[in-house]
This record gives sequence, structure tokens and C-alpha cells, in this order.
Amino acid sequence: MKRIQSSLNTHSADFKANAAHNRRLAEEFKERQRAVRHDRPQRDIDRLRKQNKLTVRERIERLLDPGTPFLELSSLAANEMYDGGVPGAAVVTGIGIVSGREVVINAGDASVKGGAWYPITIKKIIRALDIAIENRLPVVHLCDSAGGFLPEQAGLFADKYFAGRIFRNQCILSKMGVQQVSVVLGHCTAGGAYVPGLSDYNVIVRGTGAIFLAGPPLVKAATGEEVSVEELGGCDMHTSVSGTADYPASNEDEAIAIARDIVAQFKTPRKTPIGWQEPEAPYYDPNELYGILPQEIKQQFDIREVIARLVDGSRFHEYQPQYGTTLICGYAHLWGYKIGIIGNNGVLFNDSALKGAHFIQLCNQNKVPIVFLQNITGYMVGREYERAGITKDGAKMIMAVTGCEVPKFTVMCHGSFGAGNYGMSGRAFDSRFLFTWPQHQISVMGAEQAANTLADVKVRQLARAGQQLSAAEIEAIRQPVLEEFQRKSSAYWSTSEIWDDGILDPVDTRNALGMALSAALNTPIKEPSYGVFRM
Amino acid sequence: MQSSTTSWPFDTVLVANRGEIAVRILRSIKALGLKGVVVYHAADAASPAVALADVAIEISGDTPVAAYLDGAQIINAALGSGAGAIHPGYGFLSENAEFARAVAAARLIFVGPTPEQIELMGDKVRARAFVEKAGFPVAPSAIEDDDPASFVERARQVALPILIKPAAGGGGKGMRVVRDPALLEQEIERARSEGLRYFGDGRLYVERYIENPRHIEVQVLGDAHGNVVHLFERECSVQRRFQKIIEETPSPALSPEQRQTICDTAAGIARSVNYRNAGTVEFIYGAGGEFYFLETNTRLQVEHPVTEQITGIDLAEQQLRIAAGETLPFSQADIQAQGHALEFRIYAEDAAAGFTPTTGPVLQWTPPTGPGVRLDSGIAQGQNISAAFDPMLAKLIITGANREQAIARADQALRELILLGCQTNIGFLRRVLNHPAFVSGQVHTGFLDAHPELAAGPELDHPSLLKLLATAALMTRPLRDAADAVPDMHAAMGAWRN
Amino acid sequence: MKHGFKVGDADYDIGLSRTADGYCLHLGSEHFAFQLRPAEAGGWILASGSEVDHLAIAVDGDQVHIHLDGETYQLRFEHALQRLAELNESSAADVIRSAMPGNLISLDVAVGDHVKQGQTLLMMESMKMETTIVAPRDGVVAELHVAPGQSFDKDALLLTLEAQPDD
Repeated sequence: MKRIQSSLNTHSADFKANAAHNRRLAEEFKERQRAVRHDRPQRDIDRLRKQNKLTVRERIERLLDPGTPFLELSSLAANEMYDGGVPGAAVVTGIGIVSGREVVINAGDASVKGGAWYPITIKKIIRALDIAIENRLPVVHLCDSAGGFLPEQAGLFADKYFAGRIFRNQCILSKMGVQQVSVVLGHCTAGGAYVPGLSDYNVIVRGTGAIFLAGPPLVKAATGEEVSVEELGGCDMHTSVSGTADYPASNEDEAIAIARDIVAQFKTPRKTPIGWQEPEAPYYDPNELYGILPQEIKQQFDIREVIARLVDGSRFHEYQPQYGTTLICGYAHLWGYKIGIIGNNGVLFNDSALKGAHFIQLCNQNKVPIVFLQNITGYMVGREYERAGITKDGAKMIMAVTGCEVPKFTVMCHGSFGAGNYGMSGRAFDSRFLFTWPQHQISVMGAEQAANTLADVKVRQLARAGQQLSAAEIEAIRQPVLEEFQRKSSAYWSTSEIWDDGILDPVDTRNALGMALSAALNTPIKEPSYGVFRM
Repeated sequence: MQSSTTSWPFDTVLVANRGEIAVRILRSIKALGLKGVVVYHAADAASPAVALADVAIEISGDTPVAAYLDGAQIINAALGSGAGAIHPGYGFLSENAEFARAVAAARLIFVGPTPEQIELMGDKVRARAFVEKAGFPVAPSAIEDDDPASFVERARQVALPILIKPAAGGGGKGMRVVRDPALLEQEIERARSEGLRYFGDGRLYVERYIENPRHIEVQVLGDAHGNVVHLFERECSVQRRFQKIIEETPSPALSPEQRQTICDTAAGIARSVNYRNAGTVEFIYGAGGEFYFLETNTRLQVEHPVTEQITGIDLAEQQLRIAAGETLPFSQADIQAQGHALEFRIYAEDAAAGFTPTTGPVLQWTPPTGPGVRLDSGIAQGQNISAAFDPMLAKLIITGANREQAIARADQALRELILLGCQTNIGFLRRVLNHPAFVSGQVHTGFLDAHPELAAGPELDHPSLLKLLATAALMTRPLRDAADAVPDMHAAMGAWRN
Repeated sequence: MKHGFKVGDADYDIGLSRTADGYCLHLGSEHFAFQLRPAEAGGWILASGSEVDHLAIAVDGDQVHIHLDGETYQLRFEHALQRLAELNESSAADVIRSAMPGNLISLDVAVGDHVKQGQTLLMMESMKMETTIVAPRDGVVAELHVAPGQSFDKDALLLTLEAQPDD
């Protein structure tokens, strides 16, 4: 496997301009994260302190093994909703190391509306538990939630992927033999009560922790019974009477320490053996990624330059280097793990689609996980390509992507437009993890084309009615569409909606993929089996 | 210098002691071709003395110390093991005249002075009076019992400053220093009430208080034929709580003339009682060069090795030879001193916590090596240091051509000497050793009290703290196991956050 | 959660992690990366950055003894769960332990006695020094763990007071 020969000129004006641009984007992203994580109304912080509660970040830091990484998922979920009033969707999820085990952490953020569950909160929790299911990761729930956010109940209760799915997922995990521990650090009311109710181990903090289907006010309203929180669902009641919780703790520190000790009792998973060699840092500096990514979404760049800054030793075995050259396929190692990489170097033609479908099958046969690096404007359109079967060739690639058994990982490096998103394992295609870079844009078509198309439709409608629009009037139609499209195709919108597992600063991609790969290997890779490829 | 044609009246000697001194004496016994027997309490079963002895006999008592104080049991052990002599070492029964008598009554030889000499010299007031009568210097004093009515007046005549002591006292309790004549009567009354409280005896005596005194003592040897020699002095001014911790010879305080005077005085005192065997005459030495008799120790001293190092004479061997009735093999003129020797007492104690004794297993015991290094030790790896006995574990004796060399060697040896498992005073000794006052020989018995920072030790500096915590963490199973449980890749990533 | 070490009278919350080529101590916000390996000549080599130290180390249960640069140190490990449990033990003041090894000279109280804060409970002797142990609070003597003449080690349990009713 030879080293990629970078042709990047790090002294060029282009490189420097790109680097400045992308560094600014990364900083903006970090600043948004900081605000989401730490900016809270003082009264909310004061309330937590008065209750002797730690912040959710403090809890997580205490839970994790010292000096180990934490891959936070969807840190900016909900950032484009509710005027940013539900930072992080009121829950922190991620993968970290607790007592040496990789676990999913699901930690309610009581500093946001008392940790109430919004529809987006539920989506984020379900996604975290889906990750736990797909990757067989034990879950530590740090419970502190006021329950469902009642004004939004219609958006969170009834449907398949609403609140019930959380509990369904917990049951599935249990059925799979994946263990869960809940640390009850605040109230678990109503549905929230089932999180500990469905966990294998429960720790509860005396004084602040409580579990009940209905809190004292509701009980009083329902039956007239007057009862205190402690009596109704406090630590000592549950650990000594009801058996709903297992371990009493005097404070949060002790509760978290007990939880760590519980996780230490979990079996150490046997990982799926895949190709592995001693890890090696990339030969080319990952910081140069900033200078590679162009400032314009339409501008092309060589995805091999990106690969060179992600993989071990910047070494890459390229498959079919002369065929279907708009799709780069090949093998590399990342944090030692042998992976296949599929990256876009332009629009997908028939040959590149066939090459992709073929390479996916090679990886699937040989149990090589695949990393997709998306920068795709779609499959080529036009008579010539339709005649050559671009649709059925694209379908082959989609069939291969969907049917392959090896874990897939997708990084939205730049643009993701049209059906190319599918062929490159977009969100609907069950990549184990999908990450986004800050300048990424995603939509069924490019914003410009969409705005033009919509303006065009309008112009023709009016033309049929005998009306003619001035250039200014057309622009007045076009511009709002363009803006709306741009907003909703941005990485921030995407991540707000949890269409991804979070935005990454590009330099963090290697570690994020390393952790994702390691997590994925907790699940055995099934034997290949495929649907029917249209030939 | 040493006679070799002894016909020993005994072929086996029982050592009625433990620890380093038992080892020390057994070595000399065995070097003379005799058999060594040691008695031991179960707590000492794993001690080097038991391992070194030809025969080890277990003794018992209500407490471990009581076993070593049980003369009858020890004499029985001697008789049972065929020992012809008993060497008492120091402490325990070494200055017990009754025991010495009982040994003789059992037709065994007591390796030490006669019971009468022990009695005379063991009674401080009698010894003092005797020495004074024999014409040797004692500190001006007044004893209340002599004439209670005139006590205050006589006390005043001793001349200030004076030290008031309870007649029945010991260990520093109830002692008061008076510097202001106006306070004399008041302080006498206070001392009296303290004496009553501590000892149920309000009788007092006063003596001249020597400011910043040095403790200087002289080693003497006498045989049963009236020959007495001295083996020069030892200075033992570095003391904590009236216990010596560093001793040396020659004393850096004495001029050759003073040395001559003090050693001759000591030999004279010994000669005046026809002293037999090894003994030590202790003096208090004032800053102005005056010295007064303090007391006599009728046994081998803890600090005897420094004398051995500069004279080349094995004191334990001489004790045995004297006990066997031999004539001293050397005259005073034969005895020459060469070089400088320091002794450091290694204690199981926490200097920073007021020298409280410490306990624990001896997990690692690494003696230092190098020229001029001698270690008299009674401990071994695997042994347990308990609170049952005196906390002295070993003595490091360092010899150099001169004091500077001895100090430099001592510093290195104390650095190399490692005892792990039980806290010791090794670091403290090194701090004392390197103190400018010690280096320049300007110490007195109040030196350590005046420098509490030496006991407290330096504040642990932050870089060292990190090293210690890091090491301890890695050596502690739950911490190491938890760190090792983290998968390689995650460990290599460290606390990465996205 | 943090494990701890007691060095002298000071408590330190620490964490230990593995790195790519050694270990890292976490103390507050500080990180100390290091390697520790046995020395060929005996003892251990502690390396951190360019600094190298020669150590002697012995472990006795939770006690780690370290000889560093001519001084010996004792560090006592305190398991996080243990510490937190003790911290939360409302009855911490119920137990009277000896601060030093020694032996009991006299007992001034009997089981069932009501004692006042500051009242003498017992007299112990250590290194020929007598130390008086007094009641840390008002209470009732629940249990005596030593008898006169008995010797004990540092931290030995001497006496227990009856637990206080919760307030």
C-alpha cells in the first residue's frame, strides 16, 4: 500500500484562502457548540446548584474514564428549532469509555426546561439507542427529566418513532443481552420512569432522585392522596420497598461511582475480527484539510487529498485507478482498522456507479467496513446516460450499499445532492454513523437549481395567464426560495434535524471514525447476501 | 593488640537481648569461636538475631518486653542451653543489679560490671556524691532532702540559671529552668506541685543549668585486675526528647587539651570505683568549656560502634574477654584513635508527627554500600516492625579520614539506605546531617528543639508530588487495572472531545 | 468519580489513564504523562519528558511506599467508593481510632457510660509518652475494643460511641 502523493501546494493563495475560510467555519462551529453546552439562564444553573446537582457535562466527565475520549453525538441537535431554546435537544448523547467499556451515554440535561422531552429530544434519544442496538453498546442513562413537554405531546407520544420507541429500544437491547444501567439523578416521571424501569441496574440518589408514574401533584388530583416525593418514589422507598431501584447513593458523585463499578462488572465484548495493523498517524497533516475544502459548494477538489489526511500513514491502495475516475475506491487503514473508502471526485457516471457497486461487494465479501466520503452532485443526467442505463447502474450501487453487511460510515465532506446521496450511503441507508463537515450542504438538488426551477415554474404559470414578470419580480420570487433552500440545506439545519450524528471539525474526523469503527465491531458481521441487481 | 591465648571459662554465651545489639554481640561471640545463644520472644522469631544464633530459645511474657525483662526465664534458658555467660546488651536487664546477682548465683558469668558497681552508678544521686567526693567535677547543686529548711537559700547559691527537678522524676517531667531570681520561689512551688502530680512525691533538687550544653561521654574499659583505660570520647548532642540520634567521635567541640582532661577525668572516675568491663561516663559540657559529671552507664552503649571504628577495638569482644577474667591486652598508651566516625540511629518513627513510633512490615531493606559504611541492623526484609519494642531498627556507622569525609559519605549512605514498609527517620537524619550547624559542629542538646523545621521536613514540592502520585497510582491495582482496561486506541486518543 | 491518595495529611483526588506509550496521572486539571519500568539494577525508573528518576517501590495492601531522591514517602490508596461512602457516613465521629501505635494504660469509661464532649475516655502510651483520648462529642459508650495492657497499631479501633439519632 503506497503513500498518496499529495499535490497540494500549501503555499498557494488558494490553499491559504481556503484554510482561513474553513478555520473560521470550524471556529464558528465550536462557538455554537460552546454556547449550546454552557450558556444557560443563570436561574437554571442556580436551581441545579441549589438542588446539589451537577451539570450534565460534569456528570459525564465524572462517569467517563479519565484521559479517554468522548464522541458526542448531535451536539447541535435542535439548534435551528424553538429559536435555539432547546440547546442540544435537552439531552447529551455519545459514546465514551466507562470502566474500560465502550458505552452509549444518554444524559438528560436538566438545565434545559428541567430536562423535559421535546419531540426532538426523543428523536435524539432513539437515535442513541439505535446506535446502541446496531453496535451492541451497553447504555448508561443519566436520568434527570421532567417528563414529556406537554404542549408538544402530539409530536412525541403516538407515532412509531415517538417516545414509546425509547422503551421499545430498551427492551430490544435487553433481549439482545446488551446491558443498561440507569442513574436516577433527578425525577423520572411518567414515561421517564420506564427508563430505569427497563434497565438492568438502577442507582438512585437519596433526596434528589425519584421514580414515579405520577408525581405528588398528579396523585393528589387523581386520588386525593397526599404524599411526599420521597415517600412516593424516593431512594429508600425504591431500594428497600419496591425494588425498582437497586443501589442507594448519598449524592451524585457516589451514584456515578457506583454506576462505574456496575459497568466494570459487564462482560468485556469480543470484537469482530477484521483486518488490523498497528496504527500510524497520517503522513500528511490533518490540519491541511482546511486548505483543501473549497469555499464554494460547486468547486471541485480531489478527495484523495482528504483521504491522505485521514488514514494511517496516508497510505492508500486505489482500486481501478483508471476506470470510473469520478469515484475513488480503495483500501486504507484508519486507527489500524482495515477499511474500504469510497469518495466522490465528481458526478457519478455509469462506469463510476458500476465501479462503486463492484467495490462495495468486494468489501462485503472480505468483511472490510466501508467509509463513504460524500461530495456528490448526483448521477449524470441526459439522453446519452439514460440510454446507457444510468438509472439501473445507479440502482446497482444503491442495491449494493443497502445490501452489504459490513458496517458503513458516512462523512458529508461537502455537497450531497440528489440520488448520489443514496448511492453514497446517505442517512436512509443505515450507516452506523454519519458525520457532517461545517460547510456541507444537502438537498434533493442544488439551491440555485431549485430556486431557478421554482422561479421558472412560476414564470410559466403566469405566462399561461398572459402575465409577464420583470427581472426584479423574478428575482423577488427566486430569492426567498434560494434563501429558504440554503438554510434548509446547510449543515446546521441538517444536524438540527438529526439527519446526521453531528457536525465534526474536519480535523476530528479521524478520531470520530476510529471510535465509530471500534464501536461497530461489537456486532458480528453477517455473511453476504444480496437482492437482485438490475443488469 | 589482642591476646589470642584464652582459655575460656565458658564455651557458650547467651545474649539476653534482641534487635541489632543481639546481632552485634553474637557476631563477636562467634568470631571468638564461641557458641552464641539468643533468647527471643515470638514477635522476634523472624529476626536476624534468631537466624544468626547457634541456638535460639523462645521466651514469653505478658508483653514482648516483659519476656526480655524476665531474668529467671533467661537464666533458665542459659542453664538449659549450656551457656556459661550472659551478655545483657543494653537496655532490658543490662543495668539491673538484681539480675547480675541472680546470674552469679546461678554460677553463670554476667558480662558486665559487678552488681555493686551497677548499684552505685545506677543511683544518680549516690553516683554524683561519690564522684564529687572523689574530686571530680559535678554541676553545683542543692538537694532538698539534705536540709529542707535551707533548700531555697541553697538553691539560690547554686547561681542562676538553675534547673529544678523532682527528686523522684525522670523523662523531663516537672523540670523547670529558672533564670530570674525573683521567680525562684514561685517556680520551686510549681515544680513541687508537678512532682506531686506526676510522681506523688514533691521533693526537689536543683542544679546549675547549662545553657545550650553538649553531651559528651567517654568510653571506659576496666578489667578484673584493676586496669582501667578510656577509649576517647563520643559526642551525642543531637538529641530529640532526651534520646540520642546522631553520635560521633571525636567531638568537634573539644581541643586536644580538653579532650585529654575529660577523658582522664572519666578514666579517673572509673578507676575510683575499680570499674570492671565496659562503661560510659557521661558529661554535660558548657559553651564556656566547663564540664560536669552527669552519670555513668554500666553497660555497652548503643553508640559504641563509633569508638570501635576509630580505635579498631571490638568492644563486645573485650567485654567477653574481661568477663572471662583476662587482663586488658592494651595499656592507655596503646590506644590510638584514627579518623572520624558518625553514627545514625535509624528509628521507625514519624519525625514530622512529633517522632511518634511507626509500625509496618519491612517490605524492602536495602543497606547502603561503599567505603566507611557499617550497618548494625537487627531487621530483615519480611519482618514486621511492631510497637512492642523500642523503635530503633538499626544504626548506620560511617567512618572517614576526617569529619568532612565522614559527613559526605554519610549523606550518600543515607540516600542509599532504603527501608520501605514502615516510616523511618532516615530523611530526617539526612536533613540534620546537612544542616549548617551540624556541618560546622555547632550543635547542642537543644539543637533539634530549636529547629523544628528539620523534623517537619520540607514541603513536598509539586513535581515530586506528581511523581509520587503517578507511581502510587500505577502500583495500585484498581487504578492500573482500570487504566489498562481502556482499549488501546481510546487510550491513545486521550481525552479527545469533538 | 475519583480515587484518592493520602500523602501525609493531605488528600489528593487523582485519575490514571493509559497513553500511547505509557500512563498519565490526572490531578485536578493537571496531566502528568510518565513511564515506569523496572531498572536492570533493581528498583524502578520513572521517566517523564526528559526527566528520569530512580525509585524504590513497595506495595502493602492500599499502602504504597516510595523512595525518591533520598526520601521515603507513604501514600495510602482510597478507593472512590470507599471514600464516598465514608464521606457520607453520618456516624464518622462515632468511632475512635488510635492516631499512633501504642498500648492502653487505662480505661476511664465503661460500656453504657454517658460521656460529655472532651471527657477523658482512655489513656494510651506510645514511645513512653502518655496520651489522653477524649470524647469527640456527647454520647454513650457502645463498645470498647481494647483492654488495658493491650498494644495496638496506628488506626486501631479503640472505642465506639452509640450512633446518634438522625436529626
